[in-house]
Amino acid sequence: MARETLKDSLAGHADGYKLLDNLSSCLGCGKCVGNCPAARQTPSYNPRQIIRDVLNGAEERWLKSEEIWRCLWCAGCYTLCPMDISYPLLIMQLRYRAVEAGYGLQYIAPFKKFAMRAREDGLTFAPGGSKGRERVQGIRSGIGASPWPEISEKAKAEYTALFDLCGVKRDLEGMPEDAAEPLDLNYLGGRIVYEP
Amino acid sequence: MNHKRIVSPEEKFPKVPESLFLFRSCTGSVEYPGTENAIKEILKLLGIKAVMDPDQTCCSGYLLTCSAYKPEFSLAVTARNLSLAERKDLDVFAFCNGCFGYLSELAHIILHNPDYKAMANSVIAPMGYEFKGTARIYHVQELYRRLQSNLVALVKRPLQGLRVGVHYGCHYLARQYGILDDGGYPSYIEDIISSLGGTPVFYKERQACCGYAVGRGFTHKENVVHPHLYSKLKSAREEGVEILVTVCPGCNTALDREQPALSERSGEKFGIPAIDVGQLIALALGVAVQKLGFKANTVPLDEVLRKISADKGENIQ
Repeated sequence: MARETLKDSLAGHADGYKLLDNLSSCLGCGKCVGNCPAARQTPSYNPRQIIRDVLNGAEERWLKSEEIWRCLWCAGCYTLCPMDISYPLLIMQLRYRAVEAGYGLQYIAPFKKFAMRAREDGLTFAPGGSKGRERVQGIRSGIGASPWPEISEKAKAEYTALFDLCGVKRDLEGMPEDAAEPLDLNYLGGRIVYEP
Repeated sequence: MNHKRIVSPEEKFPKVPESLFLFRSCTGSVEYPGTENAIKEILKLLGIKAVMDPDQTCCSGYLLTCSAYKPEFSLAVTARNLSLAERKDLDVFAFCNGCFGYLSELAHIILHNPDYKAMANSVIAPMGYEFKGTARIYHVQELYRRLQSNLVALVKRPLQGLRVGVHYGCHYLARQYGILDDGGYPSYIEDIISSLGGTPVFYKERQACCGYAVGRGFTHKENVVHPHLYSKLKSAREEGVEILVTVCPGCNTALDREQPALSERSGEKFGIPAIDVGQLIALALGVAVQKLGFKANTVPLDEVLRKISADKGENIQ
């Protein structure tokens, strides 16, 4: 496929956000795989293979896979890539497409409650329960800081507004409740075994 | 590709800033509040004014990489937060690799895609913000490196040969351009540690990812995160690391909080505390231990504090 045609077809699906205009320059050198901590644990997760399949328009099977959810987003592949391909931005988009197609929900749904709390707090990682909050307040007061991070009501309200405006609330609320439990996977020789 | 891959601290900061926009980190202020406090104390001793803005929110990067957020939201949040620093005419200094990585990556996307810039600005305009792209984004550790000799001159509590393992964290080294050291084999934090009287330890899995990024801690704990952490902590223990230092409160969470679960799974003891490099520097500069919030840590620091005679907790500045 000519490079220009390839670029058009990439923009059409795999790179809908148009962040990877150099993907077709992949040399297939495999440095990304050799440096990948996720591939080390799960050899069937292979970034080079995923890029090749995307370039060949054959990434459909990856959307259904467990493998694309292995990536830790450490971006070690990007550090080493001789062509400056930001692979994490590819895996990000593959995951969005997987979710749109109904796959991998079990990897997003566990974040729903957490994300909805961040929406209110303007902070991520703030504990939800009163016990957790008291613990944080105790530690912060003990070191002479304000009991709670100094974040204004205005900041929280605007964070919530952006959250809703950009459709995050709608997307999260559309997640089925029963997808909340991550799968318990079986491994055989480093590969994920799909049969129960 | 005309950018320089590695830049010296002097090239990065020809002039040391008099004041800076200190970007609040959620993990750094909630999980380990001592991180933020330590940095403020160090900056005070260095004579640099840290400005924090209550209107600043989370960088939103964590849940973006968990695929729970779409980029539109994070681009808008980044534009809004950076515009706050621009209003004050200050450069942004993050102390979490996550904040640093996402702010710089998302700002790069905004500034190199006119459509995204227009989109982000149109969403935040009704709130009265505009992102122009003038604020530069740094990590606080870059400042430590730039002012290393000033820090050494301020040492009140030398580290007494303490064996320190460094965890650089991926999202600083993953920058392709303009970082302080070779992303493939960095050693500048080790250099800071030695200059403060500590013994840096180059353990085998030094550059391994903490495995926690992207919230795989929620969804992939047993299968993915724990094997990483196990090999990492095991190699640190084998080299006799007494304490791990991080430059990212997120990594710190993984390295510290997961140790009890790892011990339970493997039946082995680790007991290696993990703290922010700023907290260790603050200890060396004689900041009172009470101000550094070690109560937040899962693995206690008692032995380390005893070794550097900081266990009495007094302020010896």
